Parts: sequence; C-alpha cells; structure tokens
Amino acid sequence: MKSPTRREFGYLTGGMTLAALGPRLAASEAKAKVVVVGGGIGGATAAKYLAASARTIEITLVEPNPNYTTCFFSNLYLAGLCSLESLTHGYKTLAQRYGINVIHDSVAAVDPVARTVGLKSGPKLPYDRVVVAPGIAFNYDALAGYDEAATQVIPHAWNAGPQTQLLRRQLESMEDGGVFVLVAPPNPFRCPPAPYERASLIAYYFKQYKPHSRILILDAKDSFNAQDLFLDAWERHYRGMIEWLPAQFTGGIKTIDVKERSVKTASETFKAAVANVIPPQMAGQFTQQNGLADKSGWCPVDPITFESKLQPGIHVVGDATSAGDMPKSAFVANSQAKACAFAIAEALAGSERVPPRLFNTCYTHLGPDDAVSNAVSFKPVAGTIKIVDNFVSQVQESAETRHRTAREAQSWYAAFVRDTFGYAAF
Amino acid sequence: MSKGIGDRKYRDGAGLSMRTIIAVSIAAGSFIILADRSQAADRDGGAQLAAMCASCHRLDGGDGGIPTILGMSPEMLARAMLAYRSRERPSHIMRAIALSLSDEEIATVARYLAALNK
Repeated sequence: MKSPTRREFGYLTGGMTLAALGPRLAASEAKAKVVVVGGGIGGATAAKYLAASARTIEITLVEPNPNYTTCFFSNLYLAGLCSLESLTHGYKTLAQRYGINVIHDSVAAVDPVARTVGLKSGPKLPYDRVVVAPGIAFNYDALAGYDEAATQVIPHAWNAGPQTQLLRRQLESMEDGGVFVLVAPPNPFRCPPAPYERASLIAYYFKQYKPHSRILILDAKDSFNAQDLFLDAWERHYRGMIEWLPAQFTGGIKTIDVKERSVKTASETFKAAVANVIPPQMAGQFTQQNGLADKSGWCPVDPITFESKLQPGIHVVGDATSAGDMPKSAFVANSQAKACAFAIAEALAGSERVPPRLFNTCYTHLGPDDAVSNAVSFKPVAGTIKIVDNFVSQVQESAETRHRTAREAQSWYAAFVRDTFGYAAF
Repeated sequence: MSKGIGDRKYRDGAGLSMRTIIAVSIAAGSFIILADRSQAADRDGGAQLAAMCASCHRLDGGDGGIPTILGMSPEMLARAMLAYRSRERPSHIMRAIALSLSDEEIATVARYLAALNK
C-alpha cells in the first residue's frame, strides 16, 4: 500500500501535503481563529474538518473532560457485550496529528460583542467564529421527584460514563425475577430508537442470566421510532419479557419516588427492582445561558451554515440544535459539523459556498446478531431542513440480513469514531 | 460478539512512517500545513462530497463489515454508485446517498476517492 499519510491528508483536503513552514507563512499572523465549544461528536468533527479545510484557521477545542464515551453503542455495554473502554476516545490525535489546540476547561460565557470565549479558569479566547456543540441538558423541572441528586440512585444513563456504569452495576446485582422499569422521554430527545434498543438489549441480558425478570417501559409518548421493528423483535426474541405502556394507557408519568424506587402514573404506581429514568431534554445549559436557545429549549440554526438564528457569528451543531426534520443522533451531529466546518472555511476564505450534504444513519440492535438500520437524506428548504429520502429495514428481513447489518454496525462504529476523533496512525 | 468495538488495531508500520515525518518536520522547525494547491485541487468539491463517505467507510482499509472504497478505479466506484441508485445493488443506506447525488457529482466523488489511492 502506497503512502498512507497521503491517503488521510490527501482525502481531507484534496491534495493537502506535508510541507515545511516557510518564512513567509511564519511571519503572517493573520490566522482566523475558530473556537469550538464541546468535544462530543459535533464539536470534535467540526474541529477536525476545520483543520482539514484550511491552513489559515487556528482552531481551539474547549472540552472539560479528558475523553469522551459514546452514548451510541453504550446499550451493548449495558448488556455485557462490550467494555466501556472500547467506547471511550481521547483528544490526543486531534491535538497531535491535526494541530488542534485542545484545552480541557469549561466555557463560562461567550461575549459576541468583544468576540471572546471566556474560560472558567479565567482566560478569554478571541474568535472570528465560534462553534458550540454542548449536546443535551436534562429538564428536571419537567419531571416531579427527579433531579441531579436522584440520578445517583436512579440513573438516566443518557450521557455515557459513570451513569452507564451505575445502571450496569444495578442490573448485575438485581435478583432474578425483578422488574426493570424504564421511563422513556417525550419528544424531542437524543437518539429516538435508543430507549427501545436499551430495553431489547437488557432483555437479552436477562434472558441469559435472570430469565424470570421483566422489563416495563413507561412511555411519555403514545408511539415510538421504528415501533413495528421493535415489537416484532420483542415477540421473536423476548416473548413475555417486555411490556410497553404508552401515555394514553397510564395517563402519563406524574412523579418519580426515588426512595421507593417507584414511578407514579395518573392511573397506577409501578415499583421497580431497578429503574432507569430518561428525563425530558433540552439544549445544553451553555446555550440556555448565552441566548442561543429559544422558548422551545433548543437552538434554531441556519440550515446551510448552522449559524445561530439568534446570535450572529456563533454556530451550533449536534443535539442542541432545532434543525427541522433532523433527529438528535451522533450521525446527524457529525453530518451537521462537516457542513458547518465547510461553511466557516468558505466564509473566512470568501470562496463560493457549496450546498451542504446532510444525512442520518442509525444502526439499532434488537439483539447482538439482529440489527436494523435507517438511512435518511435531508436538504435545506425555505429556512429549515426537510427529509428527502427515508429508507428503513423491514420487518420480514431474513436472519442473515439482520446478522450482516449487525456486522456492518461494528464496522461503522470503527470508521465513525475515527472520522470524528481522527486517525491516530495508518 | 466481539468485545472491544472501538479498539481494533491500527496499521502500525504505516503509522511509524507518519510519526517519523512529523518528527522530522518538527525537528526542522516546521509543521504540517496544507499546501496551497489543496484548494485548487478541490475546486469541484470532491473533498466535501467524500466527507460523506468517511462517516461509514474507513480510510485505513476495510475490516470486513462495510466494504472498503479504497483501491478502486473511478469507473468502478461510479458504476457501484449507479447500481445502488437503481436498486440493482441492495443497500438502503447507499441508495439514500446515491439518490442525493447527480451523475456529475458521482463522477466527481469517484475521481476524488480513486486519487487517494495513488
């Protein structure tokens, strides 16, 4: 195989190459500055693709944590099918190989007049553009009895890491015959199929180790994503183990009783051996405090550049956005971040703007060897983003097709995290 | 079911050569920058189109799940894309991608990807 370095860098920039920094360039101090706030999928992808799009941009990525554990595929960890380490990725590659200035700190505020990003530790970073990718926050006000402190007893496990480990430990120590209660959130929320994938994979775990246990899903909604595919799989793989109660049946979720580990609905109280409450969601705190979120709690953005409709010069990508038909998924965050990075590079260079390519793909596990996928293309239409094509796996697919999709899912994960956090070497 | 999802090994030998190049560059008081010709080489938007592919296809070779897109001629790549678009080849993910591209864009991205392997 020839020149692997050229493969990645050549790919990224269309002929980018290694070159000595000449005196002319060394002397030029007019590098545009872009600060990326948040090192999840949206932020890391934006930083990486900005680095690849133009040498004239100085990129700083601000992220409080030393590494990132992906929420996608963490349901496999809950079922004992992979380690959390295998889902955890650092920033060393982005710093060392892509030349991104990675700062582990929190952002206190953005000053759009002075055009600075203020760090918690004190320094103010000047910027020409900011990309904000804070992900989700939990709207505890919208669910009585559940708050930050409650998450230490009844985890949400909707940001991967210690919360996911806590839920796994509780499932492991649960006695056979117990009821696992999962409270599913109202729309919109991060990763629409994921609560139901979680129920599927925990059922898989129970079937092997605690076969008398049951799963009860108390939903804030009356229907859910890919419902026919899930119901079919639950019947085939986990008959009698998973019960789903829509809001119209229970009258809606009223209160979480942390002490009793129970969930009170309008009609009945359900006691759990282990509970998982996925709370209502909104855009990350940072956006609420910096005038980026509207009344809905999410951030309206330009459908081509992902520049905030409320704060010029500040772009928002990922779960925090209100972006028309686009769901909140890692794939969407990655797709939006690329479009945003290209738009910023073009704006700073004054070059022609190419329309964005926006996609979503979801791989969802119904069992370890039974996966389905969904592919959606989008395009900007009249100030918002609309679905163009939407293809989904079918209920009647063969076991072989589902097995192949599960293999593809593994392969996708490996490619996707490299596309986001960089190729360490090849 | 494999244990480590994200921890497949990289291609170590090739990685060393990259580190060597970076080390030499740093030693010479320089660093990686993009060449001026990069923008000229990408006037037709091939890089931006190819960025879509990289969300799913590994750029350091395939690993048995999703097929590699490296090492193919522009003609082979374009033919495959057109076959996905017409459903002659099944894959709803590739169909959504192929339907979003014009014939001209398919030719552009195919040329771009094929050139990476040179």
